[in-house]
Amino acid sequence: MRYRVVHETRYSCTELVSVGHNEARLKPRSTPRQILVAHALEILPAPSTRTDWVDYFGNGVTRFAFNHGYQNLLVQAASEVEIVQTQPVTVAGPHWEELTPSSNRDQGRQDLGVIEFGFESPRCRIVPDFAGYAGAVFTPGRAVVDAATALMARIHGEFQFDPAATTVTTPVEQVFRQRRGVCQDFAHLFISMLRSLGLCARYVSGYLRTIPPPGQPRLVGADASHAWVSLWCGPEVGWLDLDPTTNLLPAAGKDHITLAWGRDYADIAPLKGVFTGGGQCAMSVGVDVAPLDGA
Amino acid sequence: MSQISPETPPANDWTRPRPGGSFGRDPAVFEEAIGPDGKTRKGWTRLLEASAKLSPAELATRAAQADNQLCENGVNFNVFHDGTRLQRPWRLDILPMVMEAAEWARLDRGLSQRARLLDLMVADCHGPMRLIRDKVIPPEVLHAHPGFMRPFWNVTQAGQGWITLYGAELARAPSGEWRVMADRTDSPSGPAFALENRIVGSRNLPASLLGDQVERLAPFFVNLQSALKRQASGLAENPRIVVLSAGAKHPYYFEDVYLARYLGYSLVEGADLAVRDDKVYLKTLAGLIPVHGILTRGSERGIDPLELGGAASHGVPGLLNALRRGFIAIANIPGSGIVESPIFMPFLDRISRYFLGEELLLHSISTWWAGDPAQFDHIRRNLDQLVIKPAYEASGGDEIFVGRLTRNHRQNLLDQISAKPHAYVAQELIARSAVPVLRDGRLGRGHAALRAFAVAGQPGDFSSMPGALVRIAPTAEPMELAISAGEFSKDLWVLSDGPVRPVTLLPDEDEPVPLRRTSAVFPSRVADDLFWLGHSLDRADFLCRLIRALIERLVMESSAEAPEIAALSSALWAQGIAPTNYSGGLGPVLSAADLPAAVGEGSDPNGLMATISELRRLSSLERLWISPDTWRKIHEATTQFQAAAAAGWHGLDDLRIAINRLILDLAAVSGLIHDGMVRSPAWRVLDMGRRIERAKDVALLLDSVLTVDPPGIGTLKMLLEVIDCRMTYRSRYLEKIRAANVFDLLLTDETCPRSVASQLIALAEHVDVLPHDGADPLRTEEKRLVMATVHAVRMVTPDELGDRTQAPVLNLARLLDRNMKALSELITRKYLLHSGTPRQITSDPEMPG
Repeated sequence: MRYRVVHETRYSCTELVSVGHNEARLKPRSTPRQILVAHALEILPAPSTRTDWVDYFGNGVTRFAFNHGYQNLLVQAASEVEIVQTQPVTVAGPHWEELTPSSNRDQGRQDLGVIEFGFESPRCRIVPDFAGYAGAVFTPGRAVVDAATALMARIHGEFQFDPAATTVTTPVEQVFRQRRGVCQDFAHLFISMLRSLGLCARYVSGYLRTIPPPGQPRLVGADASHAWVSLWCGPEVGWLDLDPTTNLLPAAGKDHITLAWGRDYADIAPLKGVFTGGGQCAMSVGVDVAPLDGA
Repeated sequence: MSQISPETPPANDWTRPRPGGSFGRDPAVFEEAIGPDGKTRKGWTRLLEASAKLSPAELATRAAQADNQLCENGVNFNVFHDGTRLQRPWRLDILPMVMEAAEWARLDRGLSQRARLLDLMVADCHGPMRLIRDKVIPPEVLHAHPGFMRPFWNVTQAGQGWITLYGAELARAPSGEWRVMADRTDSPSGPAFALENRIVGSRNLPASLLGDQVERLAPFFVNLQSALKRQASGLAENPRIVVLSAGAKHPYYFEDVYLARYLGYSLVEGADLAVRDDKVYLKTLAGLIPVHGILTRGSERGIDPLELGGAASHGVPGLLNALRRGFIAIANIPGSGIVESPIFMPFLDRISRYFLGEELLLHSISTWWAGDPAQFDHIRRNLDQLVIKPAYEASGGDEIFVGRLTRNHRQNLLDQISAKPHAYVAQELIARSAVPVLRDGRLGRGHAALRAFAVAGQPGDFSSMPGALVRIAPTAEPMELAISAGEFSKDLWVLSDGPVRPVTLLPDEDEPVPLRRTSAVFPSRVADDLFWLGHSLDRADFLCRLIRALIERLVMESSAEAPEIAALSSALWAQGIAPTNYSGGLGPVLSAADLPAAVGEGSDPNGLMATISELRRLSSLERLWISPDTWRKIHEATTQFQAAAAAGWHGLDDLRIAINRLILDLAAVSGLIHDGMVRSPAWRVLDMGRRIERAKDVALLLDSVLTVDPPGIGTLKMLLEVIDCRMTYRSRYLEKIRAANVFDLLLTDETCPRSVASQLIALAEHVDVLPHDGADPLRTEEKRLVMATVHAVRMVTPDELGDRTQAPVLNLARLLDRNMKALSELITRKYLLHSGTPRQITSDPEMPG
């Protein structure tokens, strides 16, 4: 299954922006499940400098800066991604307790790339109430994949999707109280619960292909950025993706496309910038996920 | 090990010297001046014997002199109380602490080793992480650390040092061993305070106390200079280095200014620097000039708003990428601060063996990490004798002395730790060593904390400052770790075995220096401040003269005889000076009863009090650019006036005395600037600010006076008085007061130094010399504007000045007001601020689904 993903950010200002420094994380990662076939990041007007780099978490970063003024900025990432492998999750994994530090400290969880996702991060908290909520399904001795899937279903069932309920800065404790939010909130909350249990979970940003209702054409630009969770399930299973917003396991289907990962959203915001001047500025984002093989 | 409880009475059993110069001992602490045999230690003998012979009165006088000098030198620190900033004077005990050479050598080896170790640790944290991979430290130490910022990962080339300047907070335990209370690697503060203590202290010590061979501090600063130069040497043959200050609101801003001056670097803030093409530049009046090295003074966590967020005043967007690409040297490298957290302390011995294969020479204060079950047990069992600290914050923030808690609070504390054990450490309490101090000229005792420093030399090699900043607490109780904490500070004399080689920061006397007519670098932000300093200076003068003119009319026997009171009131009202309870309506007249309170009112940003405080603020900010006398005069005049305003004036006479005094003080400031300031770009922008303000003030005055009624004799006289031309007028025309002749002096007479014409001609010259693009054959916008205004004033005819409707004069006044505002904006935009306040692009306005 091959997709063409176009992620466009437009920034329009009423006055000239005199200088600007920016950082984009818009290059999809290659994973065993997906191959990045082609990628181009177009920036208009052309920046004065542009450097490609790989960040701490292995995500591609493009840093670019303007010495000259501009009023409109377009950052367009166009990528072709092939989903090469789909795999129904059949292994249940070890008892979830075996993956927590209390049982495992002495043998040492081997991989530093796993351990670092077990702690609090700017947007994900470790809170006894979260462990309590998760504990209802993370019962003693339950297999980790089984328990995590059940927790995902519980969040999906008890939390309502409501774009008006939160903003990008709403703390995860508030999302938990009000039982409402969007994919980013659910991902942060799910991660917080898993880490509160002592497990290691990371934040995955990406795209979700939307399937039009039967008989209707696909609406270009109707897609959106998406976010979900990846949980360490031990060496046998590895990282398992779980999407609490759709209650799906992305590995089993072809609709999720991975962009980047980090401890939480703060590590991998798609576009960051500091600028001077500009007067009133407005930003708009459009995402389009188009299947290329007519599927 | 002694235990300190709050009940221990302060030991002051040796408040006076005993025969033979020895002092009583306190067995619970180490005595710096007294040996185990009860006799004065060798290094201290001469100092104590000599001071015992001096009268308390003489010593007290010396101490007071030192205090005065510190105050005059502006040595202070900022404290924040209820959200407002207060400046506290730095306090110094002129009697130094003494350390013998052999003992210092031990400490020096320990400090160098520790700095070397911390440097390796920082490089490992932001790179290979061998300490975690090889299980020398548990992963929590880094990965649960909120200050472990991923943008610092591999931010500098492998093999390059991270730490250039290291600070250690030391205390001597009763056993006589020195212990590190805290490590400082994120812009350590204190070296300049140590140096200033040395300079002021030795200047005020009686001659009989001097004469020992004392190691000098200057070599340390020479080493710092060469370290910075070496790091930037790959970028330019003669690298330009700046001190990046966290701004005047930073608690130790004094030190930023002092270091910049002493090391010979430009003092800059974040807004002064710009990153272009991943290279760093300083914005100056003449454009961008390259910068190769930065000595940072603010926290690393705010240094690049692009990657780290925030809006710190020392933040420079894009700086980290410049560093990654090797286009800038920064001391210390951002990321160095991570090892300040006490969580590293329990592991330091292991890390030393792992990295260096050596035992630590200088141990930390005993520290236990609650994240380790065995250590948590120890904490639980010994809770009362410990201090609890957040594990990840630099020591010196929240500290809980368990011995002072009630039983309930102790239980709460234990619960709090159990909920997140990895986030806490516990440390032993230490009874600090005792040293002789001078209080009111008498010898007493105090307890010492040392802030010592080391600077990087060749890779892996650190050398320490032979001296320290000593802080004194009155008791051996725990003391805050901030360098401003304690009763006062002291110098530390490290005695030398041999002769001391004089080292100076002055350049080689034989090296020729090319002649110059300007300073090498004039930052735009400084130009901006000086421009507004000029504005405030003349505005304050103008307001004072208006107020004085009104006072003189209000005290006349019949105020009805002075119809210009209404005009003056409305002029003052337009300038932001109005009765506090004024609620609007026509013809606001300031009465004798209202005036003092209206003048003292500080809320209007255009009023006299606000202007005075702006003048004071800007002059303090840019002290380096005006003469010390100018700064002192402004400081003194504004202090006096503000104090008088705060106390309130009793009646008009009281106010008149204060206003007259301020007018004379401001004139003295003007004189100092006029006679003393080199005709540099700095002087030009300051003078431009003054001239624009002066021209605008005359225009505004005419506007508010002429709109009421055609001016009577009284009003015309008042105009002459306000612009200080009454004597000139009388000498020309005697008592024949005519509107046209008065307006001529105010507006068109180019020989009158206060006329608008004089200001415009001076402005035309200034604008002409401002740096501009030489390739442009036409005149710049600001030149055209000034020339057009000069032209408008020069083309005025006598008939227009004498027009009975005043319309031509009024129109000219309004044109002047508009043009001066436009000129101010043009100059600001083009020369003063190359860019506005930076803003963040907050990522997607719509969140991902």
